[in-house]
Amino acid sequence: MNIDNLIEGILNGDNRSIARAISLVENSDPVSRERIIKSIYSAGNAKVIGITGPPGVGKSTIIGNIAPMLSDYGKVSILAVDPASPFSGGSIMGNRIRMQKSLSRKGIFMRSTSNRLYNGGLSEYSWDIVKILEASGSDFIILETVGSGQSDIDIMNIADITCVILAPGLGDEIQALKSGIMEIGDVFIVNKIDREGSYIAIKDIRETLNLSNKIKTPVIGINSIDIENYDKFLDYIVNWNKKNYREKYVRKLRQIVLEEIYNKYSYYIDNMDYTEDTLKRDPYTTAEIIIDSMNKIIDKSTYK
Amino acid sequence: MENGKNRKYTEAPIKVLLAKPAIDGHDRGIFVLARAFRDAGMDVIYAGLLPTPEEVVDTAINEDVDVIALSLLNGAHLTAFKNVIDIMNKKGVHDIAVVGGGIIPDEDKPALEKMGITGNFGPGTPLKIIIDHIKKRAREIRKLRENEYR
Ligand SMILES: Nc1nc2c(ncn2[C@@H]2O[C@H](COP(=O)(O)OP(=O)(O)OP(=O)(O)O)[C@@H](O)[C@H]2O)c(=O)[nH]1
Ligand SMILES: [Mg+2]
Repeated sequence: MNIDNLIEGILNGDNRSIARAISLVENSDPVSRERIIKSIYSAGNAKVIGITGPPGVGKSTIIGNIAPMLSDYGKVSILAVDPASPFSGGSIMGNRIRMQKSLSRKGIFMRSTSNRLYNGGLSEYSWDIVKILEASGSDFIILETVGSGQSDIDIMNIADITCVILAPGLGDEIQALKSGIMEIGDVFIVNKIDREGSYIAIKDIRETLNLSNKIKTPVIGINSIDIENYDKFLDYIVNWNKKNYREKYVRKLRQIVLEEIYNKYSYYIDNMDYTEDTLKRDPYTTAEIIIDSMNKIIDKSTYK
Repeated sequence: MENGKNRKYTEAPIKVLLAKPAIDGHDRGIFVLARAFRDAGMDVIYAGLLPTPEEVVDTAINEDVDVIALSLLNGAHLTAFKNVIDIMNKKGVHDIAVVGGGIIPDEDKPALEKMGITGNFGPGTPLKIIIDHIKKRAREIRKLRENEYR
């Protein structure tokens, strides 16, 4: 097996190749990552569906329900991001357990990934993983964010349609969410409408959206235990036609360039000669000197 | 982990699938294990009950884990574990380690080892011993994989 076989495997929709390519992208050197992405970049055309919202609102359960429904319309793949423990760096990836039954039944590819303490609700290489899933022939890619609520806003830069999941009984939390996550939703789902307070939750969210000029943004109440009202949600996803080409591109481009700059400067800083003169000079001035000399190098190179 | 650092495959968190390949009516032990593995820096997938060996193997393939940790407390190891190995062989999967645990009579252990299932820890085994063993198996797997795609 080599990377060429792996790439061929991805394009043929072979699960083992897809799975291994994702591991390489996550764990390996930048060279393999670039080779894989450059070879598959233009392949495929998927609708990326972002599922975000506070912990425990039912994101994974919803994906377990909606994925088999969507598979009547095309090939579905799932990527779910779990938070890493800041103490050990490890993680318990618990999203799969809520979906397993429908995955097995429909043969849907699902991958769990740790955010490895990356901020924003996704992982560092979520974009690349989505790209691999897209090249493997997926028509729909469902992406579940970490679920830390307010800060999970990176999803809007990767998804074509962002679904914010909420539930009755969040109370004050909804107030807090209004600042961040309320801005990013293309559709709002109030899950667990079998629970008390769902009418008020829907009304509250509706009013908040109206106040911020999002009168047309739908708020749909669903029950994921007895599968109620999913037809509206499904319709909305299937008929969604907007593609976030630009946002996706810009997010990744920025990340690659910043990573490159970070690496270059880090290397410079780590390998600099720290003479006594340097140490006497304040670090602000030293930083200016480094950046100036780097800029000179950058200025010389041409842009295309 | 810092942004943009050049990582080596061997250094990324070990990924483990914790699987119960049949109903044994016990859930708590497996959560204790999951937490201990996480606290040892591993990425742990617990998919609940995976009743067919195909489901265990498919999940392991799609998640691309380094190690499958099989646990059963109902005494049906020999068959249940063997089924998993059979499916792996059938699919040509040779770069995932399989580790066993549960109430395993001593006389069954050689047969399990022969299939390639190592560890075979009984209840009450110190977590550290289990974790060290999984790390060792994972390291072997990572070595195997590291230069596979060049
Ligand atoms: N009553 C009720 N419970 C639900 C519903 N949907 C999900 N749940 C329950 O809510 C709990 C959390 O569900 P998950 O799907 O794991 O929620 P999540 O948002 O993915 O959670 P995290 O990934 O941990 O943030 C589970 O116990 C579900 O069974 C619903 O419509 N009604
Ligand atoms: Mg979840």
